[in-house]
Amino acid sequence: MCDQPVTNTKEARWQKVLYERQPFPDNYVDRRFLEELRKNIYARKYQYWAVVFESSVVIQQLCSVCVFVVIWWYMDEGLLAPHWLFGTGLASSLIGYVLFDLIDGGEGRKKSGRTRWADLKSALVFITFTYGFSPVLKTLTESVSTDTIYAMSVFMLLGHLIFFDYGANAAIVSSTLSLNMAIFASVCLATRLPRSLHAFIMVTFAIQIFALWPMLQKKLKACTPCSYVGVTLLFAFSALGGLLSISGVGAILFALLLVSISCLCPFYLIRLQLFKENIHGPWDEAEIKEDLSRFLS
Amino acid sequence: MVFKVFFPTCCTSADSGLLVGRWVPEQSSAVVLAVVHFPFIPIQVKELLTQVQQASHVGVTVLGTWCHRRQGPEEGLGRFLEGLGTIFSHDPWLQLCRQRGGTSWSCKAVGQPMSPGVPSDDQVLLVFYDQRQVLLSQLHPPTVLPDRQAGDAPASAGGLAAVFDTVARSEVLFRSDRFDEGPVRLSHWQSEGVEASILVELAKQAAGPTCMLVSWLLSLLSAVSTCRLFRLWPLSFICSKLSTCEQVRHRLGHLSLLFSIQGAETPAQLMRKANVFVSVLLDVALGLMLLAWLHGKDHIGQLADTLVPVADRVAEGLQHLLQWLMGAPAGLKMNRALDQVLGRFFLYHIHLWISYIHLMSPFIERILWHVGLSACLGLTVALSLLSDIIALLTFHIYCFYVYGARLYYLKIYGLSSLWRLFRGKKWNVLRQRVDSCSYDLDQLFIGTLLFTILVFLLPTTALYYLVFTLLRLLVVTVQGSLHLLVDLINSLPLYSVGLRLCRPYRLAAGVKFRVLGHEAGKPLRLLMQINPLPYSRVVHTYRLPSCGCHPKLSWSSLCRKLFFGELIYPWRQKSCKQD
Repeated sequence: MCDQPVTNTKEARWQKVLYERQPFPDNYVDRRFLEELRKNIYARKYQYWAVVFESSVVIQQLCSVCVFVVIWWYMDEGLLAPHWLFGTGLASSLIGYVLFDLIDGGEGRKKSGRTRWADLKSALVFITFTYGFSPVLKTLTESVSTDTIYAMSVFMLLGHLIFFDYGANAAIVSSTLSLNMAIFASVCLATRLPRSLHAFIMVTFAIQIFALWPMLQKKLKACTPCSYVGVTLLFAFSALGGLLSISGVGAILFALLLVSISCLCPFYLIRLQLFKENIHGPWDEAEIKEDLSRFLS
Repeated sequence: MVFKVFFPTCCTSADSGLLVGRWVPEQSSAVVLAVVHFPFIPIQVKELLTQVQQASHVGVTVLGTWCHRRQGPEEGLGRFLEGLGTIFSHDPWLQLCRQRGGTSWSCKAVGQPMSPGVPSDDQVLLVFYDQRQVLLSQLHPPTVLPDRQAGDAPASAGGLAAVFDTVARSEVLFRSDRFDEGPVRLSHWQSEGVEASILVELAKQAAGPTCMLVSWLLSLLSAVSTCRLFRLWPLSFICSKLSTCEQVRHRLGHLSLLFSIQGAETPAQLMRKANVFVSVLLDVALGLMLLAWLHGKDHIGQLADTLVPVADRVAEGLQHLLQWLMGAPAGLKMNRALDQVLGRFFLYHIHLWISYIHLMSPFIERILWHVGLSACLGLTVALSLLSDIIALLTFHIYCFYVYGARLYYLKIYGLSSLWRLFRGKKWNVLRQRVDSCSYDLDQLFIGTLLFTILVFLLPTTALYYLVFTLLRLLVVTVQGSLHLLVDLINSLPLYSVGLRLCRPYRLAAGVKFRVLGHEAGKPLRLLMQINPLPYSRVVHTYRLPSCGCHPKLSWSSLCRKLFFGELIYPWRQKSCKQD
């Protein structure tokens, strides 16, 4: 068909190929040139309140860091007795543990195949190691200056917030790294506390708030969204209250941050969505639509 | 085709006669070895030549005639010489002629009538060579490349080797003396004559039995050293670590080589033996001088008196260093608790060491006296012994180094694997790469806890490691320079170097040609001179193998090992060598 001799240039159909000699000038562009162009075929339409609901994960994590820092400050100042914190932490952990199984009726546990004995073992390992190492922790950074420790902790907590798994599917997300950074920061901060018991309880508290609490949150969010919203609000207000008792300016700034993340950012996202212009066409990379799993197995 | 005639310079003033030599057809060159004078009887000349051929396996023949015109032109002689060609048939027949005054030479090569390419006069190259130097010199095969500074000197490498070989092998021809009353009178290089001495004769007679006796003793010694008792674990281990044992073993090998009953066959073997002999001689002479100095004016006592305070002072310096490290050295942020623990541990070690030295101090003089006796075995043995003594006296530094390095190595190793855990990765042994891995919560927690602790303790350990590694490197440098000196004495080919210094022509790297004269219608005359071998090549070629107990370590791998806290020098490397 390509070899058909075409004498009349008006009737010759223009083809969008380079490998054939055609009776048109080199810079000729046909009307049909962009007819396969598509725009925004994968763009999503967001609902404002849905976005606000999703942003609560970020709020929760910010509040966790805030609560941790506030508690550490209280401990460092000697305003909070370690026994009291330990008791509260233990009680809330137990409640959370019961809730964790009650919410989905034990389905998650069956799916993961984790026994209660393994949970007990993990808890024992935490407590034993932390208690054993707490005297070492107390003298670990004696000669290192306090500013260095603060800077290191700030960097590590920021890293924790950056790498945390908020549910996005991105390469930067690494829940392992995020958790490790939080533990590193908590160990650093715990070495500044006056006694080894303080250090032990601080590290235990860090485990509870950075490792266990997000797991419960995730389950709450998936099963009972209403209660999740309530818990988030409660948590945010308590963090604000704690911060307010330390510094008013800090509390105001933190409140502004929370409000901007939960209300302004979703609004801005939806506004910006209007300007979105994603173009698609035959030049896109090939996508394999077919399910290939039968070949892989 | 150019035609070369190699002519000995000592025959230029000889009387007229016959040219005796070898024809090398591959290079189309004639090597003249001697001139036979008139009068002679042709049969006797042929007999002599067959004798020489049988003795030297060189195809020595009559190449042509030699005519030296002292007076005016002698027509009769010329015709007579032409006639000789019919008696001694050779293709081509050379007619070399020197005019009066020695400036005018002519050379003709007459071929048989059937050979087509008869070389004419101007295609003949006359190359003069010093017969004695060529006879004695030893051409070094890899360096045979004649310099071509004198125009197109057409001697190829193979041709040169053939010339050298011919002259060296026909030594039989040169044995006959000028004053010998033989049937044939020859003119060639004359040796100055062998000086007969009773002492030399006695030494020659005594050499054989002495060699046998000494080699028997040496074999006895080696049999004793290989017996079962010395193979037991601690003894063999200690022997392999002490450089004295290595050195003594090395020297024993040298001695057994020297006194072996088989003579050296090739010149290289002869040179090696001579080198070993000179090295041993020098070594023992230096050792005896050291011995005389040591045992001369109570130097031993002085040495012993200084040695103990020096060891004490070293220990005190180490104590001060440790106390400095236990404080806040250079304002570094050390972990105080770990610092105290390490410092006390090392201080206790030094305390033990000082008491040991004090326990030893009464015996040190006697020990030194006996050690000094070992210098009669050679300076190298004494130096090796000194190196071993240094190693023993700085044993505490070595211990510190090992402790520090082990601790540091553990830290680095742990930190590197915990850093992978910190990032959520792990080392995949099967694929030899880093893979991502999902850890359990408790694994993560313990790993990060340990990681934090190790990170904050690392500077303390690293500082201790650094300081003790520097001390260790200092000791190793001293020992290494001693070993270098020993190796130098062991492996330097002193005989070859001396030969190169006094008789440069003995070790030839090649030849160069100098143009003597070139006139139209006359053959080009060249003088062949021997290029001596450069000193670096002499040392490189005749280097004796050293002990070989100090394997080389490149700087980069050394730095890498130092960084990762792996033990350096000497224990680990020896085990590598055994692998």
